[in-house]
Amino acid sequence: MPELRKDPVVGRWVIISTERARRPGTIIDPQREAMDDDNAPCPFCHNQDPEIYAIPNDDPRVASPWKVRVTPSGTPLLKMAPQFKRRGHGLYDVINDYGVHEVVIETPEHIANMADLSEAQISAVFQVYRTRMRELSKDKNFLYVIAYKNYGWAAGSRNIGHSRSQIIASPVNPLAVKGKMVGAKKYFDYHDRCLFCDLIRQESKDRTRVVTESEHFIAVTPYAPRFSFEICLLPKEHQCDFVKGVAGKEGDLAKIFKEVLTRLKVGLDDPSYNYVLHTAPFRSQDRGVRWPTIEEDYHWHIEVMPRLTRVAGFEKGSGFHICSIPPENTAEFLREVELP
Amino acid sequence: MSEVRRDPIIGRWAIVADKEESWGADRYDKEVHERKHKAICQFCPGRESQTPPEVDANRHPGSGPNQPGWTARVVSNKFPALRIEGQLDKRGYGLYDVSTGIGAHEVLIETSDHDRDLADLSVNEIVGVLRLAQNRSISLAKDRRFKYIMLFKNYGQSAGTTIEHAHSQIIALPLVPRDVLEELEGSLDYFKFRGRCIYCDIIDQERQEKERIVVENDAFISFCPYVPRYPFETWILPTEHTSDFCYLSDHDRYQLAAALREVLKRMKKTLNDPSYNFYLHVPPVNYQENQSYHWHIEIVPQLSRVAGFEWGTGFYVVHTEPGVAAEALRHNPPD
Repeated sequence: MPELRKDPVVGRWVIISTERARRPGTIIDPQREAMDDDNAPCPFCHNQDPEIYAIPNDDPRVASPWKVRVTPSGTPLLKMAPQFKRRGHGLYDVINDYGVHEVVIETPEHIANMADLSEAQISAVFQVYRTRMRELSKDKNFLYVIAYKNYGWAAGSRNIGHSRSQIIASPVNPLAVKGKMVGAKKYFDYHDRCLFCDLIRQESKDRTRVVTESEHFIAVTPYAPRFSFEICLLPKEHQCDFVKGVAGKEGDLAKIFKEVLTRLKVGLDDPSYNYVLHTAPFRSQDRGVRWPTIEEDYHWHIEVMPRLTRVAGFEKGSGFHICSIPPENTAEFLREVELP
Repeated sequence: MSEVRRDPIIGRWAIVADKEESWGADRYDKEVHERKHKAICQFCPGRESQTPPEVDANRHPGSGPNQPGWTARVVSNKFPALRIEGQLDKRGYGLYDVSTGIGAHEVLIETSDHDRDLADLSVNEIVGVLRLAQNRSISLAKDRRFKYIMLFKNYGQSAGTTIEHAHSQIIALPLVPRDVLEELEGSLDYFKFRGRCIYCDIIDQERQEKERIVVENDAFISFCPYVPRYPFETWILPTEHTSDFCYLSDHDRYQLAAALREVLKRMKKTLNDPSYNFYLHVPPVNYQENQSYHWHIEIVPQLSRVAGFEWGTGFYVVHTEPGVAAEALRHNPPD
């Protein structure tokens, strides 16, 4: 019997239907042969773009001045207009092009999958996210910053086999982010507890959806996932803000993150994936606090979404997702992957 | 420079390229649709026994169910996402909510001809498809377990289809999907504040500005929405306010078939036969707020891959300004 499950944060329903898994032709083949464009030089090896920020290289075996490097995106989704302007257009609201889009080159070496970087290297990437997020919070017109990665063709990446991720600062709170914050606040108003903390308690007790744990973090497959093998990584200690929460724990986060990415890579034959780092919006006093309990009701986390199936008209039209493998099964499968 | 635009119905933001920097149709990846499974296609006439039993069909006089002689046909989905048998059993599981997956999942085979897509059918053939869809919606709405009937289509592999013979799908759900709820709530808020339907106001604004309109006929208007999620996204709405799709008059059904056919043909020509999805947004079963909601079709060609940023934020990035998209569609009339 299929099940309908509701995501407790945003209230999105998901159909868990194992029947659908028997349908032929639904899994996207990894397109690994297309990882690098034929003979085009990699733009991220010996990168010459202007440098916004970098961590200097400390590995004598690697010939590069930097270890992790941040540059402006060559194809920015948002650009910085000289002035922030809002206007109306009939019924519609419009903001001019105002935002920052940066690329984080995660390694000087031509390595495609972040799973293959060292823990020290991944830890440096998280340090860079922290530094950049703190810096971008200084522009009072920005409400939100997001760090994310597209790995592989099906995840929306260009065909360049060099590990990188992106940071975007935006003047609005996007709808899906707002949905999460509103869901967490509603729960907090009613229970006086953080929804994510409760979720971690239930998952730790249940165990069936836990993929792995480290000293400070836990990785679970969500009870109502949008994607098969989706993983949510949360800090065990309550903290709404990534910049504050990860301080001093970058090494532990890198350790569990590398393990999660490696389990996906080995278990699912190097799939395309996205990850998204969700942190609380900027909220200093002079920006006008949106609500007073955000420190207590929100909880930063990272969503990792392997892209194994295509999204069709039903999902696009309804926001309802169909998942053909229950998260209990995917968690078990990932736990049993033998790490190299 | 791009713009950040906010949809007035649900408050979704999108980053939209400006006209000068907009991608033309030729900037997007091309997809080739092969029709190679005709010899074994289960949706072709003569193989009726290979599908689950027929639920409804448009048939030539004298032909019986599950036999050849049909022009369009509805069967249960062989791999249903939801099951029709059983009771809706809602329960809690710690802090989670769960329910049995009761629902209906049907396939509407749009033509007996393996080699034609919906866009290639005549207006009268599309009228037949719409009539079947309406009949199934009316019939499924009588089942008290179902709260929402959703009609949608996937065309082409990258839009998620696994069967090349033209078909759409009907899913009956025991609850109202979130994206529809957001539209219902947004349009009801607007109605309470202004006493008008937001979709009617959008139609007014689009008619004044004209630049995003693709086609308009006697009863339906089609335009590229000002705040799209996807490039070349196109909506079709009844020009007169109505929340009801199921009981269209013969005249309006014909006009809808004509508008749908024309938009699909223009897309096919402009974008070189793209994969696409469309879905109907109609109110839930027995919805009472008929004055505030306006049913419509959203057609989204599958041209670009949705990346992590969109999935994580619900903030969509669209490289073709909708006015530019509409102009390209207007310049490619059906042959």
